[in-house]
Amino acid sequence: MPAVRTVGMLLIALAAGCAGVEEAPYSESPSASKAAVPVKMSKKNSASSKNLEPPLDVAALKTRLRETHAIGVFTKLALKNQMDDLLEQFRAHYQNGQKTSVASLRQPYDMLVLKVLSLVQDGDPSLARTISGSREAIWAILADKEKFNSVT
Amino acid sequence: MLTPARALALIFPLAVLFAGPSPAAEDAALLKDLTSVIMLLGMPCGQVVSATRQADNDHIASCKNGDRYRVFVNAEGRAVAQKQ
Repeated sequence: MPAVRTVGMLLIALAAGCAGVEEAPYSESPSASKAAVPVKMSKKNSASSKNLEPPLDVAALKTRLRETHAIGVFTKLALKNQMDDLLEQFRAHYQNGQKTSVASLRQPYDMLVLKVLSLVQDGDPSLARTISGSREAIWAILADKEKFNSVT
Repeated sequence: MLTPARALALIFPLAVLFAGPSPAAEDAALLKDLTSVIMLLGMPCGQVVSATRQADNDHIASCKNGDRYRVFVNAEGRAVAQKQ
């Protein structure tokens, strides 16, 4: 089923995004450089390690999205439909020779993420935090033709 | 010896413990789901106050603002809210 495959691809994009976050240089901010030091240091300063986003486990996120009780079946299906539609817009953008900037798709992407967050934040705040934390990483995949094609 | 009264005393707490969500809780979840999906599809509603099941994944939702929608999954697998 194409729709299911597309959602799977989005999740793969999530995974790839997370992998990117994981590999990002930690020396960019002072708190990040502290966290780059292994376990011994992080135990001493647990407050700074709390600020860091843990690497995203795609399989776990997929399961959490599927099984969260924060949203019902109809809502999950409508969100999946809208994710598929957005991915189709990206696909069309890259297939049409990119006459316009991909930035034009940033607003619909942000809108969709906000919709998801507003729907899950009360019932599943932990999931909302995970999605929010991976927002830029996912965009980085979607906005790059090569990365997008490699995951779809 | 296990008297009927004792058996009931044992069975009742277990039944309560393992029972699924009450119909009222399921209804509340369905109304919330229908409210969310109508909002997500950009239809005015406010809040779904009641729903009537037509078939599997097919409900008539009545909104606080008086609007009624048929919410269902169409043949293409899309969630649809159709104003009645």
